[in-house]
This record gives sequence, structure tokens and C-alpha cells, in this order.
Amino acid sequence: MVTLEKNIKSVKDVLTSEDILVFEFKSDNGKRFAAIFADGIVDKTQIGELVVKPLRYAEKDADFEAVKLLLASPELKEGNKKKDAIKEILNGNAVVFIDGEKDFLIAGVKSPPMRAVAEPPTQVAVHGPREGFIEDIKINLGLIRKRIKTEQLQVKTIFVGDKSDTAISIVYIDGVCPEGLPEKIEKEIMENKIDIVPDSSYISQFMTRKPRSLFKRCGTAEKPDVFCAKVCEGRVGIVVDGSPICLTVPYMLVEDFQSVEDYYINSYRSTTLRVLRVLAILLGIFLPALYISAQLFKIQIIPFQLLLKISSSVAGLPLSPSIEMFLTLFVLEVLNEASIRMPKYVGLALSVVGALVLGDTAVKAGIISTPAIIIIAFSAICLYTVPNNIESTTTLRWMYLIIAGSAGPFGMVLLSAYLICYLVSEQSYGVPLVAPFAPLVRSDLYDSFIKANMYTLDTRPKAFKVKEKVRLTKNENENDK
Amino acid sequence: MKKKWNYTRASVVIYWLIFLVLLGLFFTNDFGLVDIHKTAIITAVGIDVAEEEVQVTAEVAVPQPSQNGENIKYALVQGSGITIADALNEINAKTGFFPKLQFCRLILMGESCREKELFGLLACFYRKDFSELTALVAACEGKASDMLALKSETSDMTSDAIRKILSDEIEKSANGTPMSLKDIAVTQYSKSAACYMPFVEVNEPGTSENGGNGDNVGGEGGNQGESQDGSGSSQGGSSGSQSGSQGGEGGGSGGGSGSQDKAMEFTARRTAIYSNGMFTGILDDQQSFALAAIRNNIRLAVLQCDTKDVHYTLGLKNVNCGVDLKVNAGAPELTLKFKAKARINGAKKRLVPEQIIFDDVVPEEVLSAAEAALEKRFNDLFDTLKEKDCDLVGIREQLYKYENKYFDAFKDDILSRMQIKYEIEVNSAN
Amino acid sequence: MKTKTISKISVRQICFIMLAYTVVGKLLSYPTMLSYFCERDLLVPALIDFLIEGIIVWSIAFLCSRTDKTFFGLLEGTFGNVFARIIYGLFAVLFLFAVLLPICEQELYVHTIFYDTVPSLVVFMPFFVFAIYAGSKRFENIGRCADLCLPIFVITMFVIFIMSFGEAQWDNLLPILKTPADKIFFMAAGSIFRYVEPCWLLMFMGRFKYKKGDAAKITISYAAGAIIVLLFLATFYGIYGGLASSRTFAVSRTSLYFSAIETIGRVDLIMLYVLETVMVFALVLNVQLAVYCIAKCSGWDNRAVISLIVNVALAVVLITCGGFYNEIYKLYMNWLWIFFVIFTVLVPCLAWALKRRQR
Repeated sequence: MVTLEKNIKSVKDVLTSEDILVFEFKSDNGKRFAAIFADGIVDKTQIGELVVKPLRYAEKDADFEAVKLLLASPELKEGNKKKDAIKEILNGNAVVFIDGEKDFLIAGVKSPPMRAVAEPPTQVAVHGPREGFIEDIKINLGLIRKRIKTEQLQVKTIFVGDKSDTAISIVYIDGVCPEGLPEKIEKEIMENKIDIVPDSSYISQFMTRKPRSLFKRCGTAEKPDVFCAKVCEGRVGIVVDGSPICLTVPYMLVEDFQSVEDYYINSYRSTTLRVLRVLAILLGIFLPALYISAQLFKIQIIPFQLLLKISSSVAGLPLSPSIEMFLTLFVLEVLNEASIRMPKYVGLALSVVGALVLGDTAVKAGIISTPAIIIIAFSAICLYTVPNNIESTTTLRWMYLIIAGSAGPFGMVLLSAYLICYLVSEQSYGVPLVAPFAPLVRSDLYDSFIKANMYTLDTRPKAFKVKEKVRLTKNENENDK
Repeated sequence: MKKKWNYTRASVVIYWLIFLVLLGLFFTNDFGLVDIHKTAIITAVGIDVAEEEVQVTAEVAVPQPSQNGENIKYALVQGSGITIADALNEINAKTGFFPKLQFCRLILMGESCREKELFGLLACFYRKDFSELTALVAACEGKASDMLALKSETSDMTSDAIRKILSDEIEKSANGTPMSLKDIAVTQYSKSAACYMPFVEVNEPGTSENGGNGDNVGGEGGNQGESQDGSGSSQGGSSGSQSGSQGGEGGGSGGGSGSQDKAMEFTARRTAIYSNGMFTGILDDQQSFALAAIRNNIRLAVLQCDTKDVHYTLGLKNVNCGVDLKVNAGAPELTLKFKAKARINGAKKRLVPEQIIFDDVVPEEVLSAAEAALEKRFNDLFDTLKEKDCDLVGIREQLYKYENKYFDAFKDDILSRMQIKYEIEVNSAN
Repeated sequence: MKTKTISKISVRQICFIMLAYTVVGKLLSYPTMLSYFCERDLLVPALIDFLIEGIIVWSIAFLCSRTDKTFFGLLEGTFGNVFARIIYGLFAVLFLFAVLLPICEQELYVHTIFYDTVPSLVVFMPFFVFAIYAGSKRFENIGRCADLCLPIFVITMFVIFIMSFGEAQWDNLLPILKTPADKIFFMAAGSIFRYVEPCWLLMFMGRFKYKKGDAAKITISYAAGAIIVLLFLATFYGIYGGLASSRTFAVSRTSLYFSAIETIGRVDLIMLYVLETVMVFALVLNVQLAVYCIAKCSGWDNRAVISLIVNVALAVVLITCGGFYNEIYKLYMNWLWIFFVIFTVLVPCLAWALKRRQR
């Protein structure tokens, strides 16, 4: 006969840490139980209410099934392996051992510390929902379920990480999502053996065949409305426990130019904003490069009157145009990095130091010219119009800067040609990265750099090769409205 | 076993190598570059001919360190040589600047250039990308170097002040006949083989008289210009000044009433004309008006005319003017069509307020006077062109294009042979 | 067994290539040379070439409706593998010749328009680095690049035309047909090396799924390209008249006189830089096809290495012979045109005689 002490000992032999608590209690009739759980990640009140209280009425000779019937927990599982018991305890559930029984019960009383659902700072929208994902996978899945109430919604959970055993849910709509894609994603994730998955960005790197690539292969969503819209378009969503950023695949480069709000406002306005973003990105990447390229190689690009102003500004500078721009950009990157990491109260001082001391004084001292600062500042602002792509765009800005300072405008042309040639060959799970432009998918263009009205976007993106193509059926009496 | 070539690893190595090479070039950055620090921004060029040499005076913008806005000084730098390119090379040797003519927006040709074939002088501007062909070309009285050394009321930069009187607006009001390097070459290399350019003159402020010929323009430069070092280059104040050597030359040929300290006014209402690249004369302002009306698109011109007892100044708008060559029964006939709407801008008579309202309708006699004045101007122009055998209007080109079968027969004497028919129609604007 | 998938290209992409790449290859020295030899009749030799090659393009496109085989497959099916390989070897030579002079032109153009001073030859060498990379790419990549190049081409050409039209005097082209016929035919034949579009189409044969009307689409695209070129030639001569023959790199000369340039600066230069991207792809297409032909001819499918060898060879030729541009041009105009006529006109016509399986 298996005694309660033996069960407790077998678990405690493995989980020796002091925060693994053992709570032994008896029923009114003398039946002995033990609940083992990890302190800090369980809700002790729930253990009391859902486990201890009901078990008070257990008969002395109650068997496993009788005890199980007494428990009121909605999330109740059985187990008989030590390995499972340990896993559940570490996951934040309570394992209940019954005296004289080899099997045990697992009560879902998980309550890890978490923050409330809040609006994500990088996807703020004036119009539209304000809820954002948080670090808890269950809450996140709940937020998704709240929006997609169809039996077709499938959630497949896998566990990755030798040490972290992180839950990863693959979310898709059966019948809409391209066939075989969820399985392919699962396979690609599972092929990687890693010790810990602290964030979804780890998973996104597993999902590219070219990990050295400058361009990402997974889209991201921090808000459930965005995530659900993408899943409904035929994408597969990936929710990672512990990460407020969910992934979506297949990914197209154009996605990052689409903001959440575009779908909630007038299509003319959203088209204007998208065009603006494209122009801003182009300016942000090319402007510093074009500026030094013009100064070094082709002064004619600069209008005459502006040239006179620029030449006044750069007259007497000790640095060559390229090094001046390099330094200015370097300072910007340092300031940017420091201002993100610094505590808020130091941040204010930092902006003063950055703007006044470095900027103004450097100009006054004749080390850096005013146009260089204006151009870099403008470029920085421009790139933040598409924050999701900031990693790629800032790197591209450096690349163009270096090539412009070394090989001039022709170098810039060649780099652009190279990027075009490279990007058109790349794909994310069978969907070309630069779709719907190359290959050209005409119907998908209506939701690319332009945003057509809802009735025009009546089909799901063709680039995904989805099964269920139509997503909006027009009201025949539309004109009567 | 043969080891398989790892393309991914190789490509990473190649990318790194390219990156390092570019980084090296970025920091050393030298393909023999001439960047913004080492370049002379030449804004205008004056060309004079002395014996077999060409003297080039370049107006150079010299940027001064400035934190906020523009602070440019303009210097005149002179070089000479057998060709303009030689002269520019001398400027380079003297100053250390790399003289680029990409921003040269004005080419001023002194009186001495009249003796030379125009395109022999200007040839280097048409060579590969030596300069953009958008630069304006003008002839000037006296020496071009002296003209560039003058001060102007309207701009710190002398060339800028001159460009103002050669602007599009001047062209559209028929007050001048601005021509770019491209325009003169296109007309010269047409079948007409003639070209023209505005003739820039300098006046004392407050007068409409010319300041005099080149000999008195800037003649005192030698004394008054800021003397420079031996390099021969000069850097003046914001309005530019004359170099020592140049001033000396100016002084030598000068001695007139012009002064460099005194701001002068420029006009370009007359036109220098060339046939087969050789200077053939100067059209007066009325002939220039007629030429401008034919060659340019006039938006709003001002025309003076006299009725029996009153002098009127009319504003002409909706001007439509052109020439049409036809060969009828073996006789070439040129039809000049001019159509415009007129309104009274001014009249030399006492103003009666109650009658001003009737000025909106231009009286028939004034319109007739305007038509007569216009016909006289056109007639004068054609007389001069016939006399000089200078086909500025493009008659030969028209003959070649539209009456090609007669081209060989008429090309030599078309100007004298053709009959001119005027169809001038000036209507009241209201 | 691992099956080899055939790299595909779509009809739309072929149309884009026929439109954009056809035009950009003819905007540099071609208008100047035409002006030099034919003056006001510069449109005539261009029109002759376009008409001949247009008919050939249509015939090849139409041939595609009769067979789904590649050109190599047709040759192989009729004359055997060895013969097909020899012909592809000759096509590789053709594409290399077709790209050599344009590369020399491009190098001069880049040095003149992209740099104010006279930079060293090294500045152009990165082109070959890109060409090595792009040369190893397959048809799918060629097509997708064309997808992106077309909008770039349309926007830049539109801006360039808008900036140019105001200055053009169209009657500069009058009177027509006054140039002696021998000069016109000399120019038409001498320029044939710029018209290798039928050979591109031969290489695309069997790589796309022919649908009814595709031949018309391809021919219309080519005709649209021809119209753009002719319009550009007319604009160029309309602006410069008798001076046109001295204005090299025509595309950079036409939009200078736009009135707003004074205030907004050389926007036309920015447009030219953007258009250069398309020009680079148009040049590289010949390299890609040469690499493809060599791969077919040699049976060695390592395109990266073939591309490396081809581009190193081109770079060496450019370095050693780049200074003899005029001599190379004369060689093309006086002698090599025969080779080009054979491969761009005769061989495509003879393709109809090859055995083809009925669709």
C-alpha cells in the first residue's frame, strides 16, 4: 500500500526547493491528504475553497473515484506518474495526494503574477479597441476566443524549452488557413531544442530558414483585434506564454506599413497615411545617404540656394561630410539606446544633454553642421512612422550611409537593386515577402500601400492561397441604405 | 572524402569582405573626390578676349562659416589662356579650388568677344558636362570682368542682379530676349545659322542713360578694389570686389565716370545679334521687342503709341504672334500674325476721374496707333535682319521644314526675296 | 528521387520586361547616335528595327501557343542534344556581346551623371559584384524583379517626360525622310545589337503557361515600349535640334529645362538615379540569360560559379577595352550586326521549322 508520506517524499526528493510547499490535511472522518504546490504561482484561496473544503467531507475509506467526485475544481486532471506531478507543480497547479492511493489529482489553481490587460505602448490607436495582449497565455487565448466565436478556431498547444517548458499555442481557423501550414509550423518549432523561451522573438527566429537575414519572416501583433483579423485572413497565429507579442505567419513586408487604425477609419485617410508612411520610410533611409552623396560626389543634386546655405554651414568644419554624418548618426543611436534604457527621471536630463549639450554646442563649436543634425533628426522621426520595422530600417539606413559615403549614388542604386533582387526571392511559408507587388497580385494591392473600402476588400488575400476565399458578401440592397 | 563547398559560409565571408572594403572607403573616402569643401561654386563667368588670349573672370561664391543661414562672400577670380578651359585651369592653379561650372548660371561676353567666332569661344561649354546648357548667355558693353565687378542695388551677387533682368518674367513681358547656352546653339545649328543674346548695359541709378561703354565701367577698380595677395584671386565683401590685377586692367582701360563703390543698375533691353557665329550688330529696344514677340511667348507686354495729340502706354495681353512662310507661285511670302488684347495703362493727358471708366474700352484710334507702332517695330526688325543677312526669326529653318523643295533655290537670298505681309490685330481688352 | 522544378515566369512579367527593359536600354547613346547619322529622321531607323523585331516577337509569342517546350527542348527534339547545346553556346555569346557595349555605355553614363568629377573606373566595379549575385538567379527571380521594376519605370519615365515636353519643339523633326536611305539602313542594321528582345522571348519559351491572347499581350507590350522609345527620341530631337548629336546620355538631357528645377533642384537627377535601377536590371538580364545558356550548353548547373566567371570576364574586357568605346561601337555597327541579325531575326524565324508537339 502506498502511503501518503512515500508520495510526498518521492516528489520532494526531486523538488527540493523551499518554495515547493506541502500542505497535509485530514477530512472530518480522518482521511489524510496532501497538496503540493509551488509558492507564489498558485492561488492559495482556491486551494482552500476548491480542494481542502470539499475534502473535509471525505469518508475514511473513500477511494480515489469517491475523492475525485468531491472536488469542485473545474480544472481537474488525474495523474499517476511522478514526472507529471512535478511538471504540474512547476506549471503552477496543485497536486493532491490521497493516502493509500498511488494516483493523484491535479487541481488547476494556477495564478502566476500578471498585469492587467492594457493598451500596448507601441500600437496605440485613437479609434478601435484598446485591449492588448499580456504575458499570460491563457488570458491571451481568452482575448482571442472573445473575438472569434467559431467552431473552426483551432488552438494547438505545444511545449518548447528544456528548462522553461514554455507553452506555445498555434492558433488558426480550420478551413481558412492554408492546408498543412499549422503542422509545418509546429514541425519547424519542434525541430529546435532550446533551454528557455523567454519571448516570442525566439520562436520567430526558429521560423526562418535564413536566420542571418535582415528581414523578418514573422508578423507581430500586440493587440487581439489585430491578431484575430490576421488569423481570419488565413494566417496562423502563434501565442507564446510569457510574451505579450504574438506572431503571425505567413508574413508580408507590406504588413508593417498597415497600422491598426487604418481599418477603423475612412479609407481615404488610411490610404493617405500609408503613402505617407512609405514616403517617410524612403526618406528616413535615403536622406542621410543622399545628403552625403550629394556633398561628396554630386553637388548638383542640391538646389542652388540651398547649396549656398549648406556650404556656409559646412565651411570650416574639421570633418569630411561622410564622417560628420556618421558621427551624427552614431550620437543619435547612442541617445536613442540610452533614453530607452535609462530610468524616466534620468531620461529628462538625458534629452537636455542630448539636445542642448551635444546638438547645440557641437554646432556652435563648429564640429557638426546644422543641416546634418536636421537631416538625421528628420530621418529618425521618419523611421518611427513604421515602428514594427525599425530594426530593418535603421540597419538599412546605416548600410546606405556607408555605401553612399564610399561608392556614391551609383553604390546606392546597386544596393537598391541588390535588395530588390534579394527580397523578391524571399518568402515566408510560401508567400513571397514582397507580395502583392512581386509577384503582382492585383486584388491584394487594394490593401497594400493603399487601403480600399471594405466592400472592395471582400476576399481574403490571394497571396495566402486560402481555402475559403470570400470574407464579405455584399448586401444586394446596398444602395437602399 | 571531398569536402563540399559551403556556399552560405562563403557568402557570409564575401558580405563581410564587401562591408569592410566599403567601410575602409567610407572613412578614407578618396576616389580623388572633389567634395563640397574643395569645390569652387562658380556662379557666373565673364569672358573677354585680349589679342589671342581669352580672359575668364569667374564670380565665385565663397562660403563663410555660419551657424544659422547663409553667409556667402563673392570673389572675382581671373585666369587667362588660349581657350576658356585653359583659363579655368589657371584659376584652379591660382586658388586651389576645383572650378566646376555646374552652377554657373550666367555667361557674360565682353565687347572684345565680338571679333571672335562665338562658338569657337563657347565651345568648351558644350563639351561633355563641362557646364549645364541652362546657363544664360549675354553680351555686355565694355569688359565682362568690369561688369561683374560692379555693385548692384538689387542683389549682393552681381551675376544675380544681371540674371534678374534676364528672367522669365522679362522674357514674358518682351522687355528682353534672354537666351541660354542651349537656345543659342539650337538656333545657330539650325538652317538659319543665326542667334542672338541680350545686350547688358549699365546705368547710373536714377537715370535711364547708359553708364557708358566698357572703358568707364569699373575703371577705378585698380585703385578701389581690395588689393589681394599675389595669387591674383580676390575675396571681397559680400558684394564682391575686384582683384588687384583685374582692377589694374580695369583702371588701364577705364577712367570714366563708373565707380565700383556706387551701386549700379543693369538693363538688357537691346539685343546682340550673330550670324554664322559672328557678331553682326545690336538691335535697339524696339526691334528687340519685335524679336521677342516673334520668338517668345509673351504674356503681358507694354507698348507705347501716339495718337494725334496724346501719348499712350498700352498693356498687351493674350499676345499671339508668329511668322508663317509660304511659297506662292514661286514667290516666298512671310506672313506675320500678331494678335493681342490691349488696355490703357497710362496716357499723357490730364486725368478726369469721371472719364477714367471709359478707359476700359480702348478707343479705336488708339488701337490703330498701336497696330501702326507694332508694324513699324516689326518692319524695322526685318529691315535690319535683311540688311545684316541675319536670319534670327528662323525663316530658313521654316523654309527647310515646310517648303523643303524650295530650300536649295531660296536659301541664300530668302531674306531679301521674301514679301512680308503683316496681319496685326489689337483689340480692346474690354 | 528529387525532382527538379522548372523555374517559371508569368506572361505578365514577360510583358513588363518587354515594356520596361526594352525602353531603358535605348535611352543613353542610342538617341545621340541616331541624331548623328540620321538627324531629323532619327525615328525612321528606330521604327524599322522596332517593326522587324516586333514581328519576330509576335511570331515567337505565337509559337509559344503551339508548343509547351522550351527552345532548348525544340532544338533537342529536332537536331539532338549536342546541336541544341551548340546553339545555346552561341546564344550565350550573343547575350554577352549584347551586354558588352551597353555596359561600356553605362560605365560612361555613371561616371558622367552620377559623379561631378572624374572618378576612377573602380566606382563602376560594384556593378559586377551585383551582376555576379543576380546572374545566378533563375527565371522566377527575373520575373519578380520585373514586377517591381515596372512601377519604378512608369513613375520615373512619366516624371521625365512631363519635365521634358514643355521644351520640345516637335517641328524640329521636319522635314521627314530627307536622310539618304543608305544612312538609315546603315543605322537600322548597326543598332540591331540593341534589339535582342526576341532572343529574351526565345529563352522564356516553355517557361510560362500560354493562355489565349498572350501573344497579343506580349506584342502589345513590346509595341508600347517602342512607342515610348520613339516618343523619347522625338522629344530629345525636339529639344536639341541640330545640337542633339553632341548630347550624349540623352535621358539625362531632356528634363533639365523644366522651369521648377531652379527652385526645387535637380529632381530629374533623382529620377535618373531611380531609373538607373531598372537600367541595371535590364543589363543584368542579358548576363542572367548568358549564364543560363552557358549552364545549358555545358550541362553544369552551378550558376553562381558560371556567373562569377562571366562577370569577371566582362569586367576584364571593360577594364582593358573600356577606353576604346568608339572603336567597339564601330565594330558593332560595321561587323557584328550580321551576327545579331542572324540570332535576333533568322534563328527565331527558323524556330517555326523545329519539331514541336501539338498542344
